[in-house]
Amino acid sequence: MMASSYNAKDEDGHITVSGPGGGTLKNKKPDNTAFKQQRLPAWQPILTAGTVLPAFFIIGLIFIPIGIGLYVTSNNIKELEIDYTGVDMSSPCFNCSQNFSWNSTRPCTCTIPFYLEQAFESNVFMYYGLSNFYQNHRRYVKSRDDSQLNGDIEALLNPSKECEPYARNENKPIAPCGAIANSMFNDTLELFYIDPNGTKIQIPLMKKGIAWWTDKHVKFRNPGGNNPNLTAVFQGTTKPVNWRKPVYELDTDSENNGFINEDFIVWMRTAALPTFRKLYRIIQKKNSMIPTLPRGNYTLEVVYNYPVGSFEGRKRMILSTISWMGGKNPFLGIAYITVGSICFFLGVVLLIIHHKYGNRNNSADITN
Amino acid sequence: FVRCMLHSCYSSLILFFIPWAAMYDTVRDDGKDIADYQSFALLAQTCLLMAVNVQLCLDTHYWTAVNQFFVWGSLSAYFAITFTMYSNGMFLIFTSVFPFIGTARNSLNQPNVWLTILLTSILCVLPVVAFRFVLMQLRPTINDKVRYKMRKEAVPAPTPRRHPRKVSTRRSGYAFSHAQGYGELVTSGRFLLKRPTKSRSTLFSQVDSPLAK
Repeated sequence: MMASSYNAKDEDGHITVSGPGGGTLKNKKPDNTAFKQQRLPAWQPILTAGTVLPAFFIIGLIFIPIGIGLYVTSNNIKELEIDYTGVDMSSPCFNCSQNFSWNSTRPCTCTIPFYLEQAFESNVFMYYGLSNFYQNHRRYVKSRDDSQLNGDIEALLNPSKECEPYARNENKPIAPCGAIANSMFNDTLELFYIDPNGTKIQIPLMKKGIAWWTDKHVKFRNPGGNNPNLTAVFQGTTKPVNWRKPVYELDTDSENNGFINEDFIVWMRTAALPTFRKLYRIIQKKNSMIPTLPRGNYTLEVVYNYPVGSFEGRKRMILSTISWMGGKNPFLGIAYITVGSICFFLGVVLLIIHHKYGNRNNSADITN
Repeated sequence: FVRCMLHSCYSSLILFFIPWAAMYDTVRDDGKDIADYQSFALLAQTCLLMAVNVQLCLDTHYWTAVNQFFVWGSLSAYFAITFTMYSNGMFLIFTSVFPFIGTARNSLNQPNVWLTILLTSILCVLPVVAFRFVLMQLRPTINDKVRYKMRKEAVPAPTPRRHPRKVSTRRSGYAFSHAQGYGELVTSGRFLLKRPTKSRSTLFSQVDSPLAK
């Protein structure tokens, strides 16, 4: 038989062949180890009813509680959204949205009153949201110079070609260059609480701690090291075309001025989807007795600088609390519950199929 | 071909839309941004890698130590390379080439992100498993029937009989064809008898023993 002759000399890997002259040829067979002879212990996954069905049921049983937990957590997050684009006539910001011009020195303000149904506890995060704004457009995303933003003097005065056409203005290099920086969101939002007496109290908003730590301390650095006089450092550059103030006047605090201004950093982290929200301010919690934002009437005062009418975008302000899974997003909870139940249902269906048809494995007509 | 097309269309849709929906208007657990372009890319990439690895595990017929090393090794290499590419050092040396700095650190420590990855990989693999199982039940191939029979016969005889026949030592999947194969076994009819046949049972009982327990 072919098999037996094949096997006879298989095992022994050290046969020495004597040549005609009496010398021995070193054999070229691989060593007789488990690895080289492919004799490693192996395990074979076979899909049997005993493994697949319990797996489906277990996955179903694990996913459903996870989904319920996520959904409940998401529902406990409180969120309030106010669209202040001012598209219809009845909106307070209608005038501001219509009379827009780049050169207006007097900023347009509008005031929107709203009512908070439930008190917000713990830290409350204030976001600005934009819709129909494609920060994920390829040419837009590439239009930045990371070396310049990292504080490289060479790149400060010679912005990269990716920034074109926002690299130079009147023969001076633009700092920061690029379309992303140029389109920075510059509305100012302020919150006031109207207490039952009628007095308007301004709510303190924290503007630090809104950007990623790695962004603020590693990625974005002001040129000139720790020189506090940023006006001198940025000598020879000019502000982006659509900005009202140059980059070294973004904030009076020197830790938040220049390229390391946190609003700027948050804006430069381009969003993935056309409807996005970015962190604007944080309302810190007071002591645990008083809710951070009690129920009642509030007003939102907007200094309306950012035009969104030309691309039919919308602007909104969002107030939200946070949990361990992030903001209010019920999708993950619902998805887990759905997948868990589908899995369970599928497990039941497969069990039925197995019972009815599983005996085909025993049929005797195999050799045909 | 149609099955492959359906499977790939389904996987692509899952791999994009689940991260998309999970990231829609979401933020980190300290309120900062997570739905940015770089984090979304990282999430989609990681979901894809996990799904592919799980599918690979399922399709590997013979799991040896080498296989284990390469599968787990490729996963850890992915994470190692990702963290290296997104580290401070690489950014400071080659600034424009590695702009994704900090993304891995800031997004992969969110439980939200890991739950999304888990959901996506399981969702990609479930239909495959279910489909194969159903096929095995409704239209078992000869291989499946043989395996089933051998498992039934191997279970009452738990001590594997080590036969000095050398054909059983070749155990890697592709070399199946180099060994005796089924031809002689099936045509001789020995296979249908109830006593465990020597040449085949050694092969299968060795392989199936972890499962048969």
